[in-house]
Amino acid sequence: MNDKSSPRKFSRRKFVQGVSTTIIGSYVLTPGVSKISEKLEAETKEIASGKKPLNLIVNKVRYELMISPETTLAEVLRNELKLTGTKLICNHGECGGCTVLLNGEAIYSCQMLALDAGEKEVTTIEGLLTGEELHPIQKAFVEHDGLQCGYCTPGQIIAAQAILLKNSQPSKEEILTGMSGNLCRCAAYPNILKSVLAAAGYLTEGTNR
Amino acid sequence: MIPELEIIKPFSLEEAVDFLNDHPAEARIIAGGTDIIPGLMQGSKRFTGIKYLVDLQQIDELKEIIADSENITIGALLTFSQMINNDSLKNNFPLLVKSASTVGSVQIRNRATVAGNFINNAPCADSVPPLLVYNAKIKLLGVNGNYEMPLSDFLIKPYFTRLKTGEIVTQIILPKPKKEFIGDFYKLGRRRGVAISRITLAALIQIEDNKLGEIRLASGAVSPIGMRFFDLEQKYSGSVISDKLLKNISSDLGKEILKVTGLRWSSEYKVPVTQQAMYLLLERICSAHKQVK
Ligand code: FES
Ligand code: FES
Repeated sequence: MNDKSSPRKFSRRKFVQGVSTTIIGSYVLTPGVSKISEKLEAETKEIASGKKPLNLIVNKVRYELMISPETTLAEVLRNELKLTGTKLICNHGECGGCTVLLNGEAIYSCQMLALDAGEKEVTTIEGLLTGEELHPIQKAFVEHDGLQCGYCTPGQIIAAQAILLKNSQPSKEEILTGMSGNLCRCAAYPNILKSVLAAAGYLTEGTNR
Repeated sequence: MIPELEIIKPFSLEEAVDFLNDHPAEARIIAGGTDIIPGLMQGSKRFTGIKYLVDLQQIDELKEIIADSENITIGALLTFSQMINNDSLKNNFPLLVKSASTVGSVQIRNRATVAGNFINNAPCADSVPPLLVYNAKIKLLGVNGNYEMPLSDFLIKPYFTRLKTGEIVTQIILPKPKKEFIGDFYKLGRRRGVAISRITLAALIQIEDNKLGEIRLASGAVSPIGMRFFDLEQKYSGSVISDKLLKNISSDLGKEILKVTGLRWSSEYKVPVTQQAMYLLLERICSAHKQVK
């Protein structure tokens, strides 16, 4: 997976599709397709002793994986699918860095077993992009300095997305409540709030999309 | 990393009970997982020796809300978010819904279950004091079938309940309080989100004319587990409402808490704060009552 040396420009999504039917570690990835070759299947079984099949839909791509049952969703996203936008910061259900959407609702992916997410729709920060184009919430964070070091930012943006999916014009109070599960050690809170309010504006104006 | 585990997904309650009984020491039920997953990740002593997690998500009857004229019965797998969004719970059990909305954060409320909150029986379980003042009962299923128990009997001491090995809490039965009952819930944490409660209080009072009818008081976090104050409730029921009375109730409550906790380094400030918080809570309830009238 040395995409850095590749002369072609990879978008993240293309990259994921590019590795689609290969084995990464002990996992078989077959986005979009549910048939795997017999050879692969045999290989999978071999590797898969003690492992369980998992059908995961991440950012609208379907993955068929074999995983150890004790693997958390965050671990699968980061270590196996290489979707490292989801951050593991406390790994303890307290900081919000690992926030993803599960069927449109915000959850901590470090606090949940991957098997539990089977057949459900997972959205990570990578899924907000359209090609290389930023999502209006991402744009708002850039324009309003909604970050300092950026470590907490993917989680913040997903939490904001969860709010905006339900309520396109949230009040300050609703944003603060909805994002209280996302800590920022740089304390960029005032600008995070500004960014989310701005994003709500962009989304309703529809100017950015 | 979490130690090696098997996940068991039974399709019926009977299957689940059978499995739990066949593996008494090694199997544990998982509901939302918000406590057990981080606990396993950290190697918490509360979860050592677990080889099987029994995931009940496929059993639909554990997710139902059933209302009849007397009770609202909720399935043990109901999450806090589902509770907050349910109108009949909002109307009949406002204190419970208010406490649910203060639990953890959105992310936690979307996964964590009410039953998990009291089965875990941490002192700081936010939903326990409201459940106690609503006289919640729980329904359990074991090898010998179903039975019911008041929640106040179920909770023994921090992190211990009367749940026997191989049993499952299936439902929470909430008797609808009579119209004259009015109450409120108070929570003090170190900050607004994802904060472990320091003090939780719930009060549900029947007010008739200028008198207190039935009184139900409960505390959490300041007491070792969520608890009711039955003696105190009896002592003051029937009293004529006055500022002095509310102060006396609150001051007695502080003394009762001191009795169960014993003197701690924090008692010096926690007891007065709890007394003041209870007083303000009672005052708020009484003035809300006047406004309704
Ligand atoms: S990494 Fe999951 S909440 Fe902190
Ligand atoms: S921007 Fe640094 S942690 Fe939030």
